[in-house]
Amino acid sequence: MHNQLAELINKNVLGASAVVNKTEDAKTHASITVEASAIYKVAEFLKTNTEMPFNALQAVSGVDYLEYIEVCYIMGHFDMNAPRDLILKVKITDRVNGNVDSIVKLYPAANFQERECYDMFGIKFNNHPDHRRILCPDDWEGFPLRKDYIAQKTYNGMEVFPDSKSNMEDREYIVRQGMIKKAQEGAANKVQ
Amino acid sequence: MQSRWDIGEPERPTINAETEQLKSELLRLNMGPQHPATHGVLRIEIWTDSEIVAHAIPHLGYLHRCMEKHTENLDYRGIIPFVDRLDYIAAMSMEWGYAMAVEKMLGTEVPRRAELLRILTGELQRIASHLMAFGTYALDLGAFTPFLYAFEMREKILRLFEEVSGARLLYNYIWIGGVWNDWTDEQLNRVTAFCDEMEEEAKKYHELVSMNKIFIERTANVGVFTVQDCFDYGATGPVLRGSGHKWDLRKNMPYSLYSEFDFDIPVGIAEVGVVGDCWNRYIVRMKEVIESIKIIRQVQAKLEPGSIMGKVPKIIKLPKGEIFMRSECPRGELGLHLVSEGPEAKTPYRLKVKSPCFTHVSMLPHAAPGQMIADFVATVGSIDIVLGEVDR
Repeated sequence: MHNQLAELINKNVLGASAVVNKTEDAKTHASITVEASAIYKVAEFLKTNTEMPFNALQAVSGVDYLEYIEVCYIMGHFDMNAPRDLILKVKITDRVNGNVDSIVKLYPAANFQERECYDMFGIKFNNHPDHRRILCPDDWEGFPLRKDYIAQKTYNGMEVFPDSKSNMEDREYIVRQGMIKKAQEGAANKVQ
Repeated sequence: MQSRWDIGEPERPTINAETEQLKSELLRLNMGPQHPATHGVLRIEIWTDSEIVAHAIPHLGYLHRCMEKHTENLDYRGIIPFVDRLDYIAAMSMEWGYAMAVEKMLGTEVPRRAELLRILTGELQRIASHLMAFGTYALDLGAFTPFLYAFEMREKILRLFEEVSGARLLYNYIWIGGVWNDWTDEQLNRVTAFCDEMEEEAKKYHELVSMNKIFIERTANVGVFTVQDCFDYGATGPVLRGSGHKWDLRKNMPYSLYSEFDFDIPVGIAEVGVVGDCWNRYIVRMKEVIESIKIIRQVQAKLEPGSIMGKVPKIIKLPKGEIFMRSECPRGELGLHLVSEGPEAKTPYRLKVKSPCFTHVSMLPHAAPGQMIADFVATVGSIDIVLGEVDR
């Protein structure tokens, strides 16, 4: 199904360059990666085409791989004759100003989902009607689900993450995994 | 950064033509976070023109624990108590959805008896959850008695769960590979007795509430969601079925052993109002209780002695890849997007929870404009939210 769909997308959407991420066994699910700049047109095509339509957006999720952040749009087709799922991905390499077009106009479900993605990963969604944080307070610093995130020590004068109470094992774990180091190396390589 | 108090007055729709000549300003009210009708710590900012709601803006996050971040530092077995605390009214369904996602990636075979016991507990949990929804919904609308009836029956299910798992609400009962504890014959006999009693009780509920004139006046033709609205917002579960779309994962994309069972999918009907109103969402839940009883009876006919735990390695290591696993919970579809980095990692790289209530809360700003405040309370109650799952 994924190969056929990727061909359809490439044929109908200019500049989408859809690639199928294959799986080795039946235990995991395949997905399709498209260009971040073409996401609105791809979503429009997925919603309106007649061969393989997707009538619902189930979730917008993110995965931080340090070199890039992946935004996963999980689509679904709620039809008893042809139920199907799709994980559609875009890669965003800019960790500071990373942005992607919002698809709220096509799927209103994306409103809250994209706000959550912004809240947790710091991806900006262009043309979003209500672009605010949703789960964290508006003046919270940092994006909690990034792998190099360390919570702020004080919030509005309140101590929220004191050294005495913070779980040092967790911090050491992060350092042990070399995640922060890996991120710095990745950034340094890009500069060279 | 924009503060949540600086949104400014939203554009004013023509909602109240009669009093439009008064040119009064919209009044901003906070519903919650301690309002009893919001079923938890949800704050809804409503802009009203006299008694009529112009805008509703939900503010979430009062129960945010960032459970998704916690799971990145926990091993796969240690996550089960955390998913319990998502939907604390229907914890069994949450555990089951998570266990299925890990088992699918691990390739574990779950023994037949364990699968049947999962269906048994899952359906009992569905009844308990719908009874809670029934009781509190009637309470929202001003009827106190149904709440007492509902909790009397719900207590019987919780007693059974307590005996089997040791806890009343947060069970940690469904483990990866099977279930923790077996049910004795005496407990299964009590389930049979409960089913018979529940069927009789359900008739009483219908006479007391479903066909009650006051209840119908409060809920029929109120808070209507069309099928297209449900697709647009990604609504699932009783909300989608109440709008008349026949969609249930247990039938349409069967998981576990559901393909062996015979049951119907109740959908919304235009009996007292229009399809997709609050009454339909309520009645779909009450009909699902009857369908769940049907499934439980079939489970008991199929149960045979056997193993309740499959072969699972001591330290669970998943192959590299990702999975999106959906399961039908009492409130809608739970989706778990589980990403694993490979066999070296003992923890998930990322676990995203697609919660049904989160999507349903996002429908409230769409439903609110033009409703009376009391009708809006009825709409909030009819989607049956649990804030542990919305905020995660």
